[in-house]
Amino acid sequence: MTDTVSQRRLRYGEFLSAVRVKQRRVSYKDVHADAGSRPRTRSLRLVDVHRLLTPYVSVRFLEQLRAVVPLALFLALFQIAALRADVQEGELITFGMLAVMLGLMLFMDGVKYGLMPFSENIGFNLPNRTTPAVVLGFAFLLGGIATFAEPAIGALRAAGSGVDPLRAPWLHLLLTRYPDRLVLAVGIGVGLAVVVGMLRYFFAWRMKTLVIATLLPCLALTVYAGLDPRLAPIIGLAWDCGAITTGPVTVPLVLALGIGVAAAAGQEDNPLAGFGIVTLASLFPAFAVMLVGIGLVAEVPDPALLPPIVGAGDTAAWWDQTPVAELIAALRAIAPLVLLLWLAQRFLVGEAVKQHNIIAYGVVVAVLGMALFNLGLSIGLIPLGNQAGATVPAAFSAADGAALYSYPVGIGVALLFAIILGYGATVAEPALNAMGVTVENLTDGAFPKQLLIQAVAVGVALGIALGVAKIIFDWSMLPLLLGGYILALVGTLWSSEEYVALAWDSAGVTTGPVTVPLVLALGLGLGQAVGAAEGFGILAMASFGPIVSVLLVGVWIRRRTEIAAQRES
Amino acid sequence: MKQRDEIVVLTDAVLITCIVQRGVADAVVDAATEAGAQGATIFYARGTGVRQKHLGVLGITVNAEKEVIYIVAPSDHADHIFERVYVAAKLDTPGMGMIYMALLEKMATYVPPEVAARFGRHD
Repeated sequence: MTDTVSQRRLRYGEFLSAVRVKQRRVSYKDVHADAGSRPRTRSLRLVDVHRLLTPYVSVRFLEQLRAVVPLALFLALFQIAALRADVQEGELITFGMLAVMLGLMLFMDGVKYGLMPFSENIGFNLPNRTTPAVVLGFAFLLGGIATFAEPAIGALRAAGSGVDPLRAPWLHLLLTRYPDRLVLAVGIGVGLAVVVGMLRYFFAWRMKTLVIATLLPCLALTVYAGLDPRLAPIIGLAWDCGAITTGPVTVPLVLALGIGVAAAAGQEDNPLAGFGIVTLASLFPAFAVMLVGIGLVAEVPDPALLPPIVGAGDTAAWWDQTPVAELIAALRAIAPLVLLLWLAQRFLVGEAVKQHNIIAYGVVVAVLGMALFNLGLSIGLIPLGNQAGATVPAAFSAADGAALYSYPVGIGVALLFAIILGYGATVAEPALNAMGVTVENLTDGAFPKQLLIQAVAVGVALGIALGVAKIIFDWSMLPLLLGGYILALVGTLWSSEEYVALAWDSAGVTTGPVTVPLVLALGLGLGQAVGAAEGFGILAMASFGPIVSVLLVGVWIRRRTEIAAQRES
Repeated sequence: MKQRDEIVVLTDAVLITCIVQRGVADAVVDAATEAGAQGATIFYARGTGVRQKHLGVLGITVNAEKEVIYIVAPSDHADHIFERVYVAAKLDTPGMGMIYMALLEKMATYVPPEVAARFGRHD
């Protein structure tokens, strides 16, 4: 290399000072004095907005991504690989899933900023500033109205079309003509459950007594309804409603109030104070919906004679069309809740609302999120679940040509599908993970987090498999429900207080806003495909499955520690 | 060689303290290490400032949960580390946090005996 390379001399110090960021010294005294006097007009650079927003949004979006994508992929892949059917309208479903994730992300953020600050403040202050009667009245309203804002409740309204009007006429009637009555019954049920949960704090009732006292009338009513052929199809829906209600709005709002009341009742030291309301909130609505069913049968002796619904089949008005209809529905769901909380804050607690803009942001985002979620629900989640349910029977029945597998293998494939679905959806549930941590701390490590998650997941998986089997073989709902809950009852009598609270609450925790519509739609699609009268009941089975499994694990743990104690002595 | 009644006290040390939102500390420590820092200590803390409140609705993106990073550096390296951390933590955006440094009177830690010996004893 003899070629001369031209050299340019540069002082190292000059290079460094050019590369380095320059520092300019300004006295903080001057800046401080200046900041107070000047009016604040701050313009953000675009890069600042990006730096602030991007990490914030991406964390929250990833959270939803983790909950939704594995489940959706499993459904789609199973359909393609094991059932050899294409996913229809894949683009639309993908778009719907995106809307579900975005919607849930916005909605959860909105609830956090728009609703939770109210609820915490009210829960903390209300018990000291008013009489217990007012607290209970507020608790009732809160529980009821929060139910309307539950994202999964929208799935119920959409479920009516999957019911055979000839074989389950009253159920069809309830879902298509009187869905408001159904939602109202669920709301009242949850409201009453919250009231009883609060009373529990005042009187220090034991969870065990409470569970038995609630469960026995529920079961009695179920038997009564189950023996009446007109009412029998409604039981599945009624018990499913219990699982639907305990979602991401009701639980934190009610818990915030509950913790405040527990503190006012002098029970703040009780580590189990938070448990119990979720359980009641899944039993009371079942009771209320069955009562509505009984009333409906008495009111309408023959649904076939009713004139068709007026207005059905007309071209939809502008407010019934896609973006507007979802927005209005979301507003109708959230506005009452915000109004109730605002009124309580203003007149019961007597404090002005602080930080208007943040709360306004929360409410707006919650409404937008709910609208997006509802949109995604109707074009993404429900069609996907429906399709999966509708294609599962192809594994064993020969509706068009030959079945894919021989009959026993096909049934096995269908049940395996149900088990994986239930297990996978449960393990991924973030609420269950949080509960596992609490339980591990409460039991001093005797009940490890992983054990709880596994127990609940196995319970849900077997429950969903049982529910799928019920639809495939068109089993009657009554013996299954009765058997499951009697088993749970026996386990309850046999277990100690903390495991009772734990087991019954774990059932409510597992059914999140993505799982519920998916499983509901799956059952309805499956029911239609195999010609069952109705496709409800899977969620009900998925609720008592974990109760039984967690109780059993609790008994096992107690036996183990007893044996260990005997050996030592 | 080693004497029990002796502590090697280091002088000309600077403490750089950086306060950022929860989750950003790793990026800060990486930048500081790359710039020559020998270690860092992270605390969890919470707090808000005036910039965050004036961001309006965007203020909700600023987490009140904070991480405080302590970096002790020799005074001739400190400016370099200070700059790199400032850039890595994106402190030129409102609400992202702050950084400051202060001269330490003295510090002490494990100093390898042969190193201590090389610099002799100042009694």
